[in-house]
Amino acid sequence: MKLTRRKLLGTAGAAAAFSALPMRFAMAQDRSIRHFWWGNPTRDERTFQVIDLFKAAHPQIDVSGEAIGWGDYWTKMATQTAGGNMADVVQMDHGFINEYVSRGALLPLDEYVGNGLQLDHYDDGANAVGTINGGLYGVSIGSTSQAIPYNTRVFEEAGVEFDPLNWTTEDFAAACARITEHTGGAVTGSEDLSLYIENFEVWVRQAGREMYSEDGKIALTVEDVRSYWDFWGELREAGVIEGPDATVRLDKGMSELGIVRGTSAMTFRYANQVGAVQSLMADPVGAAMVPHRAGMEYGHFVLPSMFLSMTRDAGDKEAVIAYINHWITSPEAIVTLGLDRGIPPSEMGREALAPHMSEVDSRVVAYFSGIQDKIGPTPTRKPKGAGEVRDNFMRTGTEVVLGNMPASEAAERFVEDAGYILERAQ
Amino acid sequence: MRRFFSRNLPGYMFLLPWLLGFFLLALGPILASLYLGFTRYDMVSAPRWVGLDNYQYMFERDRRFWKALEVTFTYVALAVPLRLAMALAVAMLLDKGLRSIGLYRAIFYLPSILGASIAIAILWRAMFGIDGVVNQALALFGIQGIGWITTPSTSIYTMVVLAMWQFGSPMLIFLAGLRSIPRDLYEASEIDGTSPVRQFFRITLPLLAPVVFFNLVLQMIEAFKTFSSAFIISNGTGAPADSLLFYTVYLFNEAFRFFRMGYASALAWVLLVIIAVITVIAFATSKYWVHYENERD
Repeated sequence: MKLTRRKLLGTAGAAAAFSALPMRFAMAQDRSIRHFWWGNPTRDERTFQVIDLFKAAHPQIDVSGEAIGWGDYWTKMATQTAGGNMADVVQMDHGFINEYVSRGALLPLDEYVGNGLQLDHYDDGANAVGTINGGLYGVSIGSTSQAIPYNTRVFEEAGVEFDPLNWTTEDFAAACARITEHTGGAVTGSEDLSLYIENFEVWVRQAGREMYSEDGKIALTVEDVRSYWDFWGELREAGVIEGPDATVRLDKGMSELGIVRGTSAMTFRYANQVGAVQSLMADPVGAAMVPHRAGMEYGHFVLPSMFLSMTRDAGDKEAVIAYINHWITSPEAIVTLGLDRGIPPSEMGREALAPHMSEVDSRVVAYFSGIQDKIGPTPTRKPKGAGEVRDNFMRTGTEVVLGNMPASEAAERFVEDAGYILERAQ
Repeated sequence: MRRFFSRNLPGYMFLLPWLLGFFLLALGPILASLYLGFTRYDMVSAPRWVGLDNYQYMFERDRRFWKALEVTFTYVALAVPLRLAMALAVAMLLDKGLRSIGLYRAIFYLPSILGASIAIAILWRAMFGIDGVVNQALALFGIQGIGWITTPSTSIYTMVVLAMWQFGSPMLIFLAGLRSIPRDLYEASEIDGTSPVRQFFRITLPLLAPVVFFNLVLQMIEAFKTFSSAFIISNGTGAPADSLLFYTVYLFNEAFRFFRMGYASALAWVLLVIIAVITVIAFATSKYWVHYENERD
């Protein structure tokens, strides 16, 4: 091993910290770790309950939880990474994990597998996305897939009949028109999803392409982007989806979604979030597939909704492993978490959960089983810079939504800029 | 030499804390950022020299850089004159010998102290939100308001209004300037039957010109550096649609969101050059409109 100044300082620091450990005040909880995640009110509540369960089982380890919304999460994470004070355990997303691993911000967990970290009950391939360059950097804590949550009461009252597991974009447009007309415009058919790159990804895959190539370049075409923004543009012009003012608010909190406020009947979420949407509204929420373009593929795929990762700033690594292990093996923890972070990627987890599912949970699980024969392969891991491409998609799309730029011009600009972003991120 | 020390030492002693701070805390990072501007640096691995790449990317490919300049210049052009006008107007009101004038001055100064704080930015966001106080007030007149901050075409004006409201420090300086204008000039002009408007343009403004100039330069520099309020109001990203992408917000995002310390350093130096150039222009033009009383023609 080459000894650099950084490593030397790090080792010296660790040694100093270690030697200081036994001298710290002799409290019952003399070990502590921090867990940082992005959340929403229900998720935060569930997570704090799991923390309490863990503390009850491990009274000598204190866990402090820090939660923040998705929008601010990555800013704060980046700042903490730069400042060398990352939380010991962080929640990672498939779009970002590659970036953090390549910066050396996360630690591989391989040496703990079978040695504090039980993964033998996991589904085959469940940790494939979290494995980067041969090392396991993120333990999947749930599987999920894309979904369109819809307000079943509004659909029934408007007399919309459709197959949630097999409908086309024409069916979708018709449903939007029907709902808007039936409610006299009080409820539009859907949120305007032009700025949701996660929904757009399904659109790209329907045409048999991927967003990114294996070597981390842009693989989608200008035509994909233009056709997507034109599709939503037509609905917007027809007035059957939410207007520009609501649309250009990016990464809205869940309570601000049209479906929750009762101003629209559909939105886009990952399937694991349908429960959180339901918890904020009274009408029963159903889950439908993202509508596919007639004659094309479905475009859906299954992905780990999130990971638990250990950071390079982790102090008490044994405590971190015990904590992560608790999440994936304790039946109580699994029941407490429910489906909020996805369907448990292990048989053991699903069995533990089965008798405790709420109505909406059952609907989500039924949805998840229903789409199993319609999903394609999980795309390659998002390249470094994917988070920024997502920002750029929303930014450029906003110009279209506001009518400042035709979709064709914006599409070209997006693809060009995305190329620059990826090139620069390498 | 001895004479110099005995005369000036106390002054330098008073400056010492500031000088220490500058040399120990500010100068090093400033010079480091000049170097980092020519590197790629993600704060985890060591900086890598890339020559002029950062500057080239900035000028040739980076649309957000130009957008940030557009937003910032728009803001400076609107906010600085309006804030100065507001400050002068209030200063003239307070220049009348009111009773308990000190209290009024403190009250009017308050927004400027608060204005830089995070709390006010959050308050602003709430006030101009779709269900905010502003729209509730408009509703009384039967006007249906919009989400002022979330609508890209209006968001910048909410920032300008916030800037106008924070007129405290230029106001205090104007007040001092007004006090130093000799009263007898006004008395003489009154005897000649000059209208107050003419008095303002012929006496107050010309004699106040040096103070106006001072305030203008300071406020311009301040406005270019606007950060915390823009950061909070735009949710840290310059949203909606980059309409609040102030230069500093963009710089912060590049540095702390995307780990591009090198690029952010380059951005910082470009801002420094812009501010320097504009200040030089202001000084160069000042000789045509700023006259000092003790000047000899």
